[in-house]
Amino acid sequence: MTTSPIVDGTHDVPAQIFEKFLQALESKDVSADLVARLCKTLLEDKTFTERALKKAVLDEETLP
Amino acid sequence: MIRVESLTINEFRGIRDLTLDFKGKSFAIYGPNGTGKSGVVDALEFALTGNVSRLSGEGRGDISLKQHGPHVDRRNNPDKARVTVKVAIPSLSKTITIVRSLKNPSVAQVTPSGPAVLDVLRQVEAHPEIVLSRRELIRYVLATPGKRAEEVQALLHLDQVEQVRVGLQKIANACERQLPPLGTAVTQARENLLRALGISELTKEKILGTSNAQRAVLNLPALADLTETTSIKDGMATPVPAQPQRIPKAQALADIRAAREALAEIGGEITKTHITEVTTDLNTLASDPAIAASVKKEAFFTTGMELTEAGMCPFCDTPWNLDRLKKHVQAKIAHLEEISLKRQAAETKMVPLIATLRKVQAAINTVVGYAGLTKPPVVTKAARDYSSHCGTTVEKLTAFMPLSETITVLTNMPTIPPAVLAAIGEIEKAVVVLPEPTKQDAAREWLTVAQERLEVWCDAMRKQKAAKDQAQKARQISDIYTATSDTVLAGIYSTVEKDFSAIYQFINHDDEDEFNAKLIPSMGKLGFDVDFYGRGFFPPGAYHSEGHQDGMGLCLYLALMRYLQGSRFTFAVLDDVLMSVDIGHRREVCALFKTQFPNTQFIMTTHDPIWLRHMRTEGLIGGRSAVQFRNWSIDHGPAQWDDRDVWTEIDDNLKKNDVRAAASLLRHYLEFTSAELCHRLRAPVEFRGDAQYQLGDLLPAAIKRMRELYRRAKEAANSWNQREIVEQLAAREAAFAKLAETSNAEQWQVNVAVHYNSWDNLCKEDFEPVVEAFQNLLGGFTCSDCKEYLRVSPDRETPESLRCECGNTNINLREKRA
Repeated sequence: MTTSPIVDGTHDVPAQIFEKFLQALESKDVSADLVARLCKTLLEDKTFTERALKKAVLDEETLP
Repeated sequence: MIRVESLTINEFRGIRDLTLDFKGKSFAIYGPNGTGKSGVVDALEFALTGNVSRLSGEGRGDISLKQHGPHVDRRNNPDKARVTVKVAIPSLSKTITIVRSLKNPSVAQVTPSGPAVLDVLRQVEAHPEIVLSRRELIRYVLATPGKRAEEVQALLHLDQVEQVRVGLQKIANACERQLPPLGTAVTQARENLLRALGISELTKEKILGTSNAQRAVLNLPALADLTETTSIKDGMATPVPAQPQRIPKAQALADIRAAREALAEIGGEITKTHITEVTTDLNTLASDPAIAASVKKEAFFTTGMELTEAGMCPFCDTPWNLDRLKKHVQAKIAHLEEISLKRQAAETKMVPLIATLRKVQAAINTVVGYAGLTKPPVVTKAARDYSSHCGTTVEKLTAFMPLSETITVLTNMPTIPPAVLAAIGEIEKAVVVLPEPTKQDAAREWLTVAQERLEVWCDAMRKQKAAKDQAQKARQISDIYTATSDTVLAGIYSTVEKDFSAIYQFINHDDEDEFNAKLIPSMGKLGFDVDFYGRGFFPPGAYHSEGHQDGMGLCLYLALMRYLQGSRFTFAVLDDVLMSVDIGHRREVCALFKTQFPNTQFIMTTHDPIWLRHMRTEGLIGGRSAVQFRNWSIDHGPAQWDDRDVWTEIDDNLKKNDVRAAASLLRHYLEFTSAELCHRLRAPVEFRGDAQYQLGDLLPAAIKRMRELYRRAKEAANSWNQREIVEQLAAREAAFAKLAETSNAEQWQVNVAVHYNSWDNLCKEDFEPVVEAFQNLLGGFTCSDCKEYLRVSPDRETPESLRCECGNTNINLREKRA
């Protein structure tokens, strides 16, 4: 049997995806402030509601 | 992460008081159906996660953990229902005790505690999938792609990933929805400005040219440039406040013309044709009651999803698990996907009609503004009402539901009340009769109106730009997220797919060693095709047998768990899962667990004694790593086939002079034990196709085999010239023969009791010697130190020794070669 290539396991798949997402944002020249806000929401606060995401993406700006 | 050392269950589910000593090793819980095996599984899950998925899964609406978790006699006293587990945490080199009561399921008493310990327990709590039941197994295999994606996503905790994807998409959509009205506002402001400036093209040169011409009339210096801060009336004297406001006659007449043109557009053929087209679509939706109801439901669910943020149902305020609630509602919306698409198509078609209505409303409001300045003021109630009506119509069209109302407002849209046109005519008359202003006054009015409209246009442009930037940013973030998560998930599925294939090949190496599988993620779905003997890839249910399909479920589960936890996959509870695997490959499953998951402690339940033997013979579990439940009663819970318990229970029955119960229990215990002895001693038994072996088939065979083994052991000792051992063996053999003889002499009484139902002929005194004889006989098969039954080693091939688990009894069976 082929030995599985996984050694330590992914454990937290969402966190893995969120981290890759934030790295992709940085590489696309998205503002550092926005990336920091999304990092706080997704990885530190772990809140995924639309309201929390809107606050992070739009910096609590109200639409004109 | 963890290994479970022991488990103590009190007043939980169907169990009153039970302790199992796992010793951190793989362990089997065997017993016929209904003997309480799953209660042990529930207790383990509860102790580790605070939840019992069997009591909280789909379709369990009336059942709650707190209410139905305690033993039925303790349902009003959940504090008594508690589970205690002793858990080893290898990474911390610690052993801790977790106590959880149903009075407060979410709180665990952990001793000793500490941040590192709690962190490990949080990880365990976050992975309830360590408990897998047979009914859950097949959901990975035979589900529809959408459902399978949900199940696998739940296992990988991708619900959070999906929630973020949906959230970012909704934000981007909401930002983009703001753009059309802002675009309409810019267009209207631009048209108003062009009208005020009297030009057809909005360029800096033309604005400066026409503005400077008016400024020249007032001897104001020409403007050289037009910037964001430039005022085209710069330097013009501010009107005296007391002076009554004048109507800019030329501008007012131009605005009145624009209002008439807008009204002509709304009542024109192009708009009517457009309305007819949209109304036809809406009528189609509304004419089918099922579709109409679905449109209503879809709107209802979509609104519900937008409002669902607190931990309760937005409709009835019932507390809900938020994720479960959202998943529940989302599933309903997905079901109405076709209706949703039709609704979106109709809404898109209505966008230009809504823009026309907004244009008419703005034009009428401008004209009505002049009415208050005429002398006497013109009565414009009809025009103002119509303006409000246009606003209401926009709201109703945007709301879309109810459909009947949307159709009605659309049908009435081209109809303009004559009183509106009459009011505009009255205003026009009042403006026309105004005296022509002087050249200077006209220039002042021109510059004032033009500046006002220039500011309105600039403001509208600024707002539109800000909204566009915001929408672009939100869309970019949503797109990057989707692309990133798709890439990561494709990588995950590719890895899992390879591992799954390897695990399946291991189990089915005899006939499917070239097996392969494909996991195909796409738009919230997860396709799953498997190779069928090199003939192509098909869904698992297409050609593979049910046993193979179940095996695939187990393999996919193991591959996912290994991906998810890697070396931390140290504990799993498989509730009746092994029964799903086809009979021909069960040994391979045991070998798989043992060799490919050597660091994982599997707690397994089964009602198949053959399975239990496979686990033992393949070395997956040790001799003492199993418990065998014989029955269950509501008062006592599961009863084990435990030597001490059985003899005590028989004795209790005899004390009550209940010979019938004592004889029945003795007979069943002897049947169970005889089978175990025949297995351990590798005793030849006459084969029965129905596998229904009686006591008479098994016990004599076990006794005969034991005598034969002693004889063989003596021959072996002789060959090695071990006189002392030969004598010891002879003594043991003689003692055993005596025990067997005594039991044989009394055995007929058991048979009478069981077979001929002559219960009344026996009394306590008749039966006590029978019990004693068989208790002694069974003792003859055990090690005098550890009291475990002896077994022949190895399990196959030539017997080499007769030994016990503790190793203190180890009788050689191999003769010295000449």
